[in-house]
Amino acid sequence: MSALAERPGVRRPRERRRSPWRRLPAAPLSLAAGAAAWELIGHLADVSFFPPLSTVLARLADITSEGMILGSLGGSLINLAAGFAISLVAGLAIGVAMGRYRKVEAALGIYVYALLTAPSLVFAPIFFSLLGAGRGSIIAVVVMYAMFVIVINTASAIQSVPAHLVEMARSYGAGEGRILLRVMLPAALPMIMAGVRLGVGRAVTGMINGEMFIAVVGLGHVVTEAGGRFDSAEVLAVLLVVIAVALSAVGLVQAVDRRVTRWVPKTTRGH
Amino acid sequence: MIEIRGLSKTFVGQDGDTVHALRDVDLDVAENEFLTVLGPSGCGKTTLLKAIAGLIPWNDGDILIDGTPVRGPGPDRGMVFQNFALLPWATVLDNVAFGLKMRGVGRSEREERARSLIALVGLSGFETKRPGELSGGMQQRVGIARALAVQPRVLLMDEPFGAVDEQTRRLLQEELLTIWEKRRMTVVFITHSMEEAVLLGDRVVLMSARPGRIAEIVPVPLRRPRSSDVGALERSGQYVEITAYLWDRLREMHEEQRPAEVAG
Repeated sequence: MSALAERPGVRRPRERRRSPWRRLPAAPLSLAAGAAAWELIGHLADVSFFPPLSTVLARLADITSEGMILGSLGGSLINLAAGFAISLVAGLAIGVAMGRYRKVEAALGIYVYALLTAPSLVFAPIFFSLLGAGRGSIIAVVVMYAMFVIVINTASAIQSVPAHLVEMARSYGAGEGRILLRVMLPAALPMIMAGVRLGVGRAVTGMINGEMFIAVVGLGHVVTEAGGRFDSAEVLAVLLVVIAVALSAVGLVQAVDRRVTRWVPKTTRGH
Repeated sequence: MIEIRGLSKTFVGQDGDTVHALRDVDLDVAENEFLTVLGPSGCGKTTLLKAIAGLIPWNDGDILIDGTPVRGPGPDRGMVFQNFALLPWATVLDNVAFGLKMRGVGRSEREERARSLIALVGLSGFETKRPGELSGGMQQRVGIARALAVQPRVLLMDEPFGAVDEQTRRLLQEELLTIWEKRRMTVVFITHSMEEAVLLGDRVVLMSARPGRIAEIVPVPLRRPRSSDVGALERSGQYVEITAYLWDRLREMHEEQRPAEVAG
């Protein structure tokens, strides 16, 4: 049937075995190497501030079974979700307005850049005194961390929408609202999503920093207490939980990103 | 059908000088005429088209369509763009239906009309593809179908085949002629190709640059329909003669401009 395949030494490209490099599971290997390094350095260093991974994991199991993690995690996730939702809605609205209208950019640009670069935790005492030592202050800190990177990415995404698409829409009678909704937002979406990905990571940072500072609820509260007792294993155990939260949040955003930007041509990347 | 009276458009260039993109343009386009506009780059031919489309303001003069002054874009005009201007996230069907959607046509009706135009431009079977999956020629077929979908009285085409390869361009020219012979409408077609201007047009408007104005209007008395035998038409004495004449005039313009280009 297929003379070509039967001839010795001639292989069809599709049947060629995948090279070991392509089969390499890069992420699990890297994680395993990191865990091994942590364990090893922990044992060798033998200092109380850097316990080996096994000690930290044992402590994590302990405090989880005591119910401390789940209760605090719930509170933290509420802070994160509320702060990120506010950042997303306000960030998109301000970003679109700044990207589309020069006057808005001139008026707000200076604040946005100032607050993006300012260390956000500086504002925690202000919120603390204005909003009290409750959830509101922590959510405000999350917004300070997450919103401005979304604003700036959205503004430049809107600015880089090709002018000919806007002109096309106008020629078919689209008004400003439809141009924004049907042309500019979808065209800008891939770049907006890049800002949202950065924003969600910063939101997790804001959540834990806010909770550590205001220290009444959430994982940050647990960290502060453990830190006061010089219980490094517990601090690192909570840190692992925080990292898991951050990775899940970023993973969620990436899943949404892939769904809404399926039309974007893939760039070529090495394996 | 279209009357343009004393149209002038200036804008301030990067060095602060006033540039006359258009100066005192007078032009009448007849109902169902195929008018081609030819000129060197910078002669304001795209500016003229965008003014007719109602996309840009001008300083002086009037544009009337059936006696009604142009104040902005309108449903009587459909535009085809040089770089296609398709929405990359939308399917062929949604791109063709875009103009109808902006005009508030309901979903079932606009999809039905879009499908029939997709068939007209030979893209049946590609309704669910996105622009990125199509060749340049196919993308411009989508652009033409989108413009025809709104059933315009005037079709405005801004160098529509300037961004496709030569073979595709020739195929698209023939197809455009076929479509226009079937459903007659007024066409204003911008091009920088003399051959294209003569092959398609009833008249060729020759524009000169700096300031942009009409240098001459050259009638093209070639018989119609032209789509059936483009090859014979291109070998005809009349076609060769008009094309050669247009090139002589264009070369004169380029030579007049050369000192100006050196000076500034």
